[in-house]
Amino acid sequence: MTAVLGADLGRGSGPLTGVGLAFRRALRADRWFWLIWVLVLWSFIPATATAYRSTISDDAAGREVAAGLAANPTMRAMLGPPYDLLHVGGFTMWRVGGFGAMISGVMAVLGVIRATRAEEEAGRTELLRSAAIGRHSLLAGAGGLGLAASGVLGLLIAASMVGLGTPVAGSLCMALGIALTAAVFVGVGAVTAQLSASARTARGVGLSVVGAAYLLRAVADGSGSGSSVRWLGWLSPVEWAPLARPYAAERWWVLLLPLVVAAGLIALAFSLEARRDHGAGLRAARPGPARGGEAFDSADALAWRLARPGMIGWGVGLIAFAVVMGSLADVFETVADSPELAERFRRMGAGAADLRLAFFVAMLGILVVLVAIWALQLVEHIRKEEESGRAEAVLATATSRARYLGAHVVPAVVVPTLVLAAIGVLLSLQSGIATNDASLIGRILGGALALAPGVWFVLGVGVAVHGLAPRLALVPWVVVGWSLVVNWIGGVLGFPESLLKATPFGLLPRIPAEPMAWAPVIVESVLAGLLIAAGFWGYQRRDVG
Amino acid sequence: MRYVSAVIDISGLVKTFGPTRALDGLDLRVEAGQVHGFLGPNGSGKSTTIRVLLGLLRPDAGTARLLGGDPWADAPALHRRLAYVPGDVSLWPNLSGGEIIDLLGRARGGLDGPRRAELIDRFELDPTKKGRSYSKGNRQKVALVAALSSNVELLLLDEPTSGLDPLMERVFNQVVAAERDRGRTVLLSSHILSEVESLCDHVSIIRAGKLVESGTLADLRHLTRTLIHLESDSPPRQLADVPGVHEVQVTGHLLTAQVDATAMSEVLGILAGSGVRSFTATPPTLEELFLRHYDGTS
Repeated sequence: MTAVLGADLGRGSGPLTGVGLAFRRALRADRWFWLIWVLVLWSFIPATATAYRSTISDDAAGREVAAGLAANPTMRAMLGPPYDLLHVGGFTMWRVGGFGAMISGVMAVLGVIRATRAEEEAGRTELLRSAAIGRHSLLAGAGGLGLAASGVLGLLIAASMVGLGTPVAGSLCMALGIALTAAVFVGVGAVTAQLSASARTARGVGLSVVGAAYLLRAVADGSGSGSSVRWLGWLSPVEWAPLARPYAAERWWVLLLPLVVAAGLIALAFSLEARRDHGAGLRAARPGPARGGEAFDSADALAWRLARPGMIGWGVGLIAFAVVMGSLADVFETVADSPELAERFRRMGAGAADLRLAFFVAMLGILVVLVAIWALQLVEHIRKEEESGRAEAVLATATSRARYLGAHVVPAVVVPTLVLAAIGVLLSLQSGIATNDASLIGRILGGALALAPGVWFVLGVGVAVHGLAPRLALVPWVVVGWSLVVNWIGGVLGFPESLLKATPFGLLPRIPAEPMAWAPVIVESVLAGLLIAAGFWGYQRRDVG
Repeated sequence: MRYVSAVIDISGLVKTFGPTRALDGLDLRVEAGQVHGFLGPNGSGKSTTIRVLLGLLRPDAGTARLLGGDPWADAPALHRRLAYVPGDVSLWPNLSGGEIIDLLGRARGGLDGPRRAELIDRFELDPTKKGRSYSKGNRQKVALVAALSSNVELLLLDEPTSGLDPLMERVFNQVVAAERDRGRTVLLSSHILSEVESLCDHVSIIRAGKLVESGTLADLRHLTRTLIHLESDSPPRQLADVPGVHEVQVTGHLLTAQVDATAMSEVLGILAGSGVRSFTATPPTLEELFLRHYDGTS
C-alpha cells in the first residue's frame, strides 16, 4: 500500500502512471451510471424525511405507531434496529438509511466491476495498457471514481439533512456511514474483479457479498432483543452505518470499521492485481473438453449450459435467504407472550390475524421481486448473446427463431417458478414443524405461487421488448425498479393506493393475509402469456444482429 | 435450366438501416459448383448480403433465393444444407473450442467426425482451450472447422481468413480447393484479392450496395490493362500514339506502358522491330481490377 501511495502520480513509470487519465476515462464512460444511481439513491433520504410527519404524527397516536414499528420483528429484520423514531432524523436513518447503505453497496460493486473487469474482458483496456499507463492505474481510476461517487452521495445526504433542519452531527454521521459503506463495497468490487476472468462471475461474487451482509444483519436484528446472535450484526458491513447510531447519541468510533475495511480491501485488490496477468483471473484458465458431450447438440442444450452457473448461484442464494428468514419466525412466539405487544401488532398488521403470517407475507413480497430480477437477467442473457454476435452463429444452423428464443425463455419461466415454490415451502417449513401445523406450509406455498404471475409478467415485458423493440431493453428493468421502490418506500412516501398497486405484484392477492382472488391471478397470467407470445411474434419478424 | 441450377439468386435487393442504404438494388447469381468470389471494400454490403441469405435480415425490396428456397421463410431447413463462417467470430467464453465445434455442427444437422479430426489437425487447433482464451486467428479456426466438418452443399464464407497466418491461409486455400473438387458451391466474400484470385472461378464485385461487375476471372481480365516492361536498343516512343496504350514512360533503354487487351497484338508488332533485349508482361491482378473499380473514377 505504501508503495502504491508513494508512487509518482504525475509522469514517470510507476504502477500508477496515468491514473488521472484513467479516472477521467472511467468518468466519461460511466458518468450516467453513477449520476443516476447516486441521485436516485440520495433522493429517497430527503423524501422520507419530508414525509415523516405524515407517518408519525406529533401526538400520542404517533408515539404509539412509532413504538409499534420499533418493536415489530418483521420491520427490524427488513430495515435494521430502530434507535429513535420520534425525531425525523432517527426515523429517516432507520427507514431508509441502513437499506440505502446496502443499495449503495450494490451500486459500488456494479460500478467498479463495470469499469475494470468488464472492460478488460471486452478487450478494451489492453489498448490503454499499451499506452503510458501503469499496471494499477485503471483499477485506481475506477476505484477512485467509485470513492468520489460515494463521497458525492455522502455530501448530498449531509447537505439535504442539514437543510431539512435535522441535527448537524446526526446528518454527518448518517452521510459518512452510508458513504463509507459504499467505500467498503468499492473495495469488494475491486477485489472480486481480480478473482476471475469473467465480469459476470465477478458481479455474482460481489453481489453475493452484499446479499450475505444483508442476510447476516437481518438475522442479527430480526432475532429479537435478547437473542444470542445479535453480535452477528457487527460482522455485516451494511450494519455499520446503523450501529454508528446517527441522530441517537452518535458512536463515531464505529465508522472506523468501514474505513479500515475499505482501505484493507482496496490494498488487497492492488496486491492481487499485481499477482495476475492482464485478462486473466487468479487461477490459470483450465482446459475444457476436446469434444462436446453427446447431448450438447442444440440451442436448448446451449441455453441451459449458459444459464446453469447463474441458476445455481441465484437458486442457492434465494433458498438460503428463505431458510434463514424462516428461522426468524419463531421470534413471534416471544412477542405473543406479551399481550400488550400482540394487541398492538394486531391493530397494525396488513390485515393478517396472525403476526407470523404477516411476516411471511412481507418476506414473500421481498423474495418475489428478487426472483423477478433473476428471471429478467435470464432474458437479458438473450440480448447479450445477440449483441455479441453469438446468436447469429446459432441461428445460422438449423435452429428456427422460435426454437432459439424458446430455448432461453422456457428455463427462464420454469426454473424461477420452481424456486419460488421452494421458497414458499422453506420459508414456512421450520415454523410449520415447530407448531405442528402442516397446513401453514401449504398456505405459504400458495401465497408464493399466487405471486408467480407477477414474475411471469416481468418476464413477459422482457421477452416482448426483446422481440418487438430490443432498443427499449431498459424498460423491464424500470418496471422491476419501480416495484422495488414501491415495496420499499411507497407507503412511507404516502403514494396513493392506486400507485402502490401499480406494480406487477400490487394487484395479486397477498395470501394468507388476504383471501385468494382468482381474477387478478388469471388476468395477469394471461397478460404475461400474451406478452411472451408478442415477443415471439416480433422476434420471428425482425432483423437479428 | 440455368435458373434451376442457381444456388444463390438475388435481384434488386435493397436493405436499409435507418438512413443508410446498405444494399441498393443488388443483383448476384451463383451457380452450383462455382467458387464465387464476392469482392468489395469495407462497408460495401458484403456481410449484409450474406446475412440476408442466412435469414438474419429481412430485405426491404427485391428478391433473394437460396438453394431454391426463401432464405427468410425457410431458414432452418435451408441451414441444414449450408455452413457459415463469419468474419468476426465471437465464441462463448466458457465453452471449449471442441464443444463449440460440436454444438454448431450438430445443431446444423450433423458432423463428419473423421473430417473434424482431420481439420483440427491440419489447422493445428487446440480444441481444449476455452473460448475466451483463443486469439483472433484461433477463433477463426474454430469457426472454420465447425463449418467445414460438414457435408453441406453450400459454404458461405465471410472474410474467412481474417486473422489467419500465411501458413494457415495456405491450409485454408487447400481445404477450399478440395471442397470445390467435391462439387460444393462456395461464396467467398473478401477484400483479399490474392485469395479470391487463387481460389475462385467467378467473381462479383460490389460497391456501395450495388453489383458493379460479375463474371469469370477471364472475363474481368478483358476489362483491364496488362503492364509491360521493355528493355530495347531504341524504345518505340510512337507506342503512345496507339489507341489502347496508356501511361507510356521511357527512361533510356527502358519503357513501361499499360496496354488494353484490344491493343495487344498491334503493340507486339511494333515492339518486334525495336531490338528487344528483355520483355515482361504482367497480367492484371485483382488488385488492379479492384482499384479500377473503387478509386472513385468508375
